[in-house]
Amino acid sequence: MLSSIGEIGLNHYLILSAALFCIGMFGVLMRKNALVILMSIELMLNAVNISFVAFSRYQNNLDGFVMVFFVMAVAAAEAAVGLALAVAIFKRFREINIRFFEHLKG
Amino acid sequence: MEKIWIAILLLSPLLGAMINGFRFRSQNYRLAGSIATICVGISFFASVALFSKLLGMPVESRFFNVSFFDWIQVGSLSVPMAFLVDPISIVMMLIITGVGSLIHLFSIGYMSHDERPAKYFSYLNFFIFNMLLLVMGENLLIMFIGWEGVGLCSYLLIGFWFTDKEKAAAGMKAFITNRIGDAGLLLGIFLLFLMVGSLSFSDINSAGLSEDTGWGMLTLALLALFVGATGKSAQIPLYVWLPDAMAGPTPVSALIHAATMVTAGIYMIVRLNPIFILSPNAMFVIALVGALTAFFAASMGILQWDIKKILAYSTVSQLGYMFLALGVGAFTAGIFHVMTHAFFKALMFLGSGSVIHAMHEEQDIRKMGGLKKYMPITHWTFVMGWLAIIGTPFLSGFFSKDEILWMSVHSPRGSWLLWLIGFITAGMTAFYMTRLMTLTFWGKSRVPKDVHPHESPISMTLPLIVLAVLSVFGGWLGVPHGVSSLLPGHIPHLLEVWFGDLIAPIPGLGKANYALEYSLMAMSVLLAAGSAFAAYKLYTEKESLLAAWVQKAKGLHNLVANKYFVDEFYHARIIRPCVEMSKALWEFVDVGFIDKITYIVSNAFQDLAKAVRMTQNGNLQRYALYILAGLFVSLSFVVWG
Amino acid sequence: MTEAISFYLIQFIILASALAVVLVPNPIYSAISLAVSMTGIAALFFSLEAYFIAGVQLVVYAGAVMVLFVMVVMLFDLKKEKRAFSRGTLSRVLKTTLSVLIFSMIAGALSMSFSELGSGDSIAKEDITRSIKELSALLYTKYVFAFEALAILLVMVIVGAIALAKAKGGTHAK
Repeated sequence: MLSSIGEIGLNHYLILSAALFCIGMFGVLMRKNALVILMSIELMLNAVNISFVAFSRYQNNLDGFVMVFFVMAVAAAEAAVGLALAVAIFKRFREINIRFFEHLKG
Repeated sequence: MEKIWIAILLLSPLLGAMINGFRFRSQNYRLAGSIATICVGISFFASVALFSKLLGMPVESRFFNVSFFDWIQVGSLSVPMAFLVDPISIVMMLIITGVGSLIHLFSIGYMSHDERPAKYFSYLNFFIFNMLLLVMGENLLIMFIGWEGVGLCSYLLIGFWFTDKEKAAAGMKAFITNRIGDAGLLLGIFLLFLMVGSLSFSDINSAGLSEDTGWGMLTLALLALFVGATGKSAQIPLYVWLPDAMAGPTPVSALIHAATMVTAGIYMIVRLNPIFILSPNAMFVIALVGALTAFFAASMGILQWDIKKILAYSTVSQLGYMFLALGVGAFTAGIFHVMTHAFFKALMFLGSGSVIHAMHEEQDIRKMGGLKKYMPITHWTFVMGWLAIIGTPFLSGFFSKDEILWMSVHSPRGSWLLWLIGFITAGMTAFYMTRLMTLTFWGKSRVPKDVHPHESPISMTLPLIVLAVLSVFGGWLGVPHGVSSLLPGHIPHLLEVWFGDLIAPIPGLGKANYALEYSLMAMSVLLAAGSAFAAYKLYTEKESLLAAWVQKAKGLHNLVANKYFVDEFYHARIIRPCVEMSKALWEFVDVGFIDKITYIVSNAFQDLAKAVRMTQNGNLQRYALYILAGLFVSLSFVVWG
Repeated sequence: MTEAISFYLIQFIILASALAVVLVPNPIYSAISLAVSMTGIAALFFSLEAYFIAGVQLVVYAGAVMVLFVMVVMLFDLKKEKRAFSRGTLSRVLKTTLSVLIFSMIAGALSMSFSELGSGDSIAKEDITRSIKELSALLYTKYVFAFEALAILLVMVIVGAIALAKAKGGTHAK
């Protein structure tokens, strides 16, 4: 279990990461505003980054850091494209609601 | 080497059919006709080459059995794409390609005014290809392909002028009637396979089946095969399609419905003669059906007014003779008559085509008469055919027909009753053919004023002349013993010698009684001469007497003139009930039952699809929820699994 | 002990601001909370002695990405939303329970596996200073292809973002 309060181990970081991930996931599922959904996605990515860094740190291996670096770059790219889409949607509907992405409906 | 010849022989007409088939819109009848004729001509030369090869081989191994590839390999069934060229099939091949090329040549002139000559020649070449498959196939299955193929071509060519509804219907009638026969043929093939375990002719013929004097499996199989033969060769009860088949172009009638296709049934029985001889009952049925067909068809021919219909009934009647011959075991005589009949009937059909062409598509002989002076070549060649069919001594029909009549008495399988029917039929044949000649070529002209008959071009008269020569001299291949003794140096029954032991001998055949043979011959000659003379007199001078007779026997005349109401009977008792039953099945079983079941099933699927569609509502977050649910389930497996 | 205190403090900041991102109805507050959360994560990296990553986190996330978000929010002139959450009671309940369930499952699995290993905490942090030099050497040798691919990706994103933002009405243009 969470052993002694005073000592911070790998599991603490991992649980923090899981909590952050689930919070982001909750946002993605629940919010109507596309912008907030994008922010929630950033939260999820950061949660993953935390576990990467923690693992890397506790394994004495730099590969995790490199992975974090890549994740950050991809996340930035994703944010740019997502925001561009949001701008396009806003131009069309004057509102930024996930409902307007529903044209895939069969 | 012979493999190449056989390939050329088969593929040349197919190639012609494809060439003309691809340019089917062409109106150039000369080009289309030349291609087709040359292709069949090549086949003819290949046949001649094979024939000369066969001649040079020793008697006991006088055949080519060539296998190109394995076609079907299923369990114990093995069907190679194999072809058999032996004395029996080479005779048929020579007839098909020889007479066929003459008729192709004739068609060039005949179809000169047609809109779709390329299509016509394509069909005609395809027919030759299929007919060659039929006679050359080494097993029943390849024969069956050819059998169906010629049926298809026959259908296409009968209904060639399909814009005329009646002609299209005639094509369908031929096709459907043939299907009934083909079902019997297939059944026969199945039964034979069950008994022998092979479809190859050589296996079947040498399977050593035991004689079946009762009504056992073998007799059943043979009768089923015979049902197929009655369909293709127009015997009672399936003969009704052949007179209607005259709706097609006349050269087609000559080639398919007189010379070649309709003899397929006879060829099939001859091919299988060693097993047919084993069943006296089946043989008796064949002989009886043949004799009755010969008789009734001849009687119907007497009262027809359409020149082609008369020849059609004559064909049915002559085919009946051939089956009579087969039924009494005289297989050689049957093939002999196939050959001579191919010559003189093709000749007369082409002659009638020439007449019809000259009369601007008029077929009613009441509107002809006195055509002798307008078309001398057609007339004289037609006379040769006429003399041959009525049995004028020393012409081809004389030898073959009298051989059949003689064998129907002489063979232990025959009887005097069969002879009597054949004998009376011979008299009727002479009568109706003379009537045809008299009304068409001789006597007063009844040609309408606006029609100017003319002699046909050389491409049409040349085949007539060749066929006339063959009709006159073709009979010398089968001179009976009696006559040959008068001609030193001429081998009797050349055809029988040629076939050798391919034809099973009739068990218990006694020695020929020459005196009886001569007297029967003389009787039939006298009868033919008498009835021919009577017909000539009646239709030239004593027409009032004829009218009085018709008046007296009004009932009988009506019956015969309406072809014994067979078509009406079939329509009322077979076709109508079939239609009614199909309607009932359609309305109650199909619509009321089967459709409902399928609707239940399809509706269930539709409802299910509607339910499933609810999940695909386009809501992105709902989709994310599904992903999450999937993640949850798979994680559960990892954690608790 | 100081380490533990700082960890719990940072953890509290991160989680609280993350919850604020998700729960606050006004998008501009969400954005600010996100920035706080990012900064907290950077601090966490710092405490893990991943200095380079912490710096990048600050520059890229708290700097560039957040600026982008705030710019867009400003551009849209968004107000507090009357209905910030999507509709459907059933699906809301489902989504919430599933999120909580998954979290508890991961946490449970983690604690169980660490207690079974029995040495979860005993893995001592290596005391090696992570030099930026070492990291960049790795980036330019072992991961050089991924690095190049990343460059191409970024170029494509720039082009795509401009094209998307410039499109007038997209596929539904009138």
